[in-house]
Amino acid sequence: MTGPLRVVIAEDSAVLRDGLVQLLVDRGFVITGAVSDPEALRRSVERDRPDVAIVDIRMPPTFTDEGLQAAIDLRRQHAGLGILLFSQYIETRYAAELLAEDASGIGYLLKDRVADVSDFVEALVRVASGGTALDPEVITQLLGASRRTQSLAVLSAREKEVLSLMAEGRSNAAIATALVISDGAVEKHVANIFTKFDLPVSQSDHRRVLAVLRFLDS
Amino acid sequence: MDGPGKSTTLSGTLGHDRERHGSGTGTQMRTLLREMVTTIMDGQSDRAKEMARLIGREPFTRRSWSELSFLTIGAPLAAVGFAFVVGTLFAGMVLAITFFGLAVVALSVRGARGFGGFHRQLARGLLDEQIEDPEPFIPRPGFFGWLQSSLRDRTGWRSVAYLALKVPLAALGILVGFAAWWDAFFSITYPLWGGAGAGNRVAVFGLPQVLLGPGFFSAGHYGFLHGLGVFIAGIVFLFAAPWAVRVVVYLDRRVMRVLLAPDALTTRVRTLERARAQSVDSSAATLRRIERDLHDGTQAQLVALAMRLGMAREKLAAFADEQVGGRTDLDQVRQLVDDAHRGAKEAIVELRDLARGIHPPALDVGLEGALSTLAARSTVPTGLTVSLHERPTPAIEAIAYFCVAELLANVAQHAHASHAGITCTDHGQWLRVVVRDDGTGGAQLSTMGSRSSGLVGLTDRVHAVDGRLDIVSPPRGPTVVTVDLPLHA
Repeated sequence: MTGPLRVVIAEDSAVLRDGLVQLLVDRGFVITGAVSDPEALRRSVERDRPDVAIVDIRMPPTFTDEGLQAAIDLRRQHAGLGILLFSQYIETRYAAELLAEDASGIGYLLKDRVADVSDFVEALVRVASGGTALDPEVITQLLGASRRTQSLAVLSAREKEVLSLMAEGRSNAAIATALVISDGAVEKHVANIFTKFDLPVSQSDHRRVLAVLRFLDS
Repeated sequence: MDGPGKSTTLSGTLGHDRERHGSGTGTQMRTLLREMVTTIMDGQSDRAKEMARLIGREPFTRRSWSELSFLTIGAPLAAVGFAFVVGTLFAGMVLAITFFGLAVVALSVRGARGFGGFHRQLARGLLDEQIEDPEPFIPRPGFFGWLQSSLRDRTGWRSVAYLALKVPLAALGILVGFAAWWDAFFSITYPLWGGAGAGNRVAVFGLPQVLLGPGFFSAGHYGFLHGLGVFIAGIVFLFAAPWAVRVVVYLDRRVMRVLLAPDALTTRVRTLERARAQSVDSSAATLRRIERDLHDGTQAQLVALAMRLGMAREKLAAFADEQVGGRTDLDQVRQLVDDAHRGAKEAIVELRDLARGIHPPALDVGLEGALSTLAARSTVPTGLTVSLHERPTPAIEAIAYFCVAELLANVAQHAHASHAGITCTDHGQWLRVVVRDDGTGGAQLSTMGSRSSGLVGLTDRVHAVDGRLDIVSPPRGPTVVTVDLPLHA
């Protein structure tokens, strides 16, 4: 990717919108638009063709899931546009709806995550470059709701940690950093998980996210 | 009687006046008397004209004909219904030794319900009598369930009672009301055919015959005077008939309201059900509002705050790593911390307002203290009078408090008032809160409601505890809103 990432922000809370703009500008992103409703978001994307959109799920007029619907529409019309959904709550249903087709270039984070600026920015970059960023909360809920309790039980504690981070969309290197272990150790754990779940090994991070989520959800 | 145009109906009054002032002499007295007579005459003639118009118009109004139709259609229906009830109940009693007796009685009660429904529809259609439908018959499952439910159906038994009473009512209707119309018709047309030949007898019956005696209309009395007499009697009947009908219909209306409407208990249960639904809805709406306020306000504030602190922390870390004089970075950090600090204070204020909206802490001390805080905070100078002999329950205090808060907010926003007053008193088991202002008036619940959804929610809460909220607000004011709440809900 050449040049700074171009970002559009759709968030109806002015306080948060301004804060995000400030943060991203500080980090060297280009803000192509900061809007407060889905309609303005569509126009802004149409006009400026940003790399990634940060979208609040709950926006006017009905304050339910306008952001999500807008995101799904935008995905269909603009291939390659990364979408980072942003919400005060995690609803597994939203994640399922969003990931129904493809997990590449999709993120779903709690708004709280913005407090850890570097992690947030990293997730945004990942989404913009076709990766996946799922909130740990999403993974926790999916693991909790999964009927594959028997399969999960055969994983070691470390393997479970790796599974969670993998499902969030992190690369092996990122997992290694997060858990303070070597890349080789991560690769070994990942291979173990795939063997134990009997899943085909996948090279790209977002494909393996989908594979893991499908497995947990099935 | 002196002077023309003075009606005999006034003679009593006049005589009385003359007696009293009789000792007085001269023109002075006479002038006075004339003035009095004129005054009385004017007033009286207006009223008399009004009466005459009323009576003259009555036979031709839609209402009179509807009532007559009600009697006419109701009478055969009453006969059929009565026959049904008597027949089935009798059969039931005869069969009482067997099990079928109960079944037949149950059938009778169910049928009576149906007949009651007919009469109710008739009253609704023709008399414009808005009798509510009683609760529908919902039998318990199975034949025995049906049997039991039917036999214990209060509405059904009350319909039986109505059908029993309807028969004398219908008889009275025919004897008095219907007969009056009938006689009017034949008496008025009597001159056309009555004298045409001997042996024609006017078919007169009912009350008119009782009043005038059977011989009055009998053939044999011929001649112009007789014909005229009958004709005039017919005219009198014509104008009296609607009133006779009305009296009978009035009795029927009263009986129907008691026996065919839902009984008091059912009505009460319905009111309570409605109130409960309202209070459930309103508490759900309140929770939703609180969630939204938190989501849009405090939560967003705190996220932004955490974000700024996060940025500041990273910048400080970078600064520490570099160990070089990055002054611009330090300025940025200070700016971030300043923003975060301001954000934290704003979040605190928002949270405090929100918490107060959920339950005002001042209420813990009592209604008087809480209301005095409200009065003091109001932008319009507001007086407060509280006189309570006992403390209402907390729920009632809260409703009273929020009503006053909402009403004062309305006064401040819309009334253009220079002064407002709150009065809070108890009367027996009731708490009365009155909020008045000397503003522009013209306030209505609907218009106030569109401006502040809060007040509509409050009305729901007031109704939920069986209270009342009344608004009196003539154009140009003053506006007086009275809230009555039970002291203990």
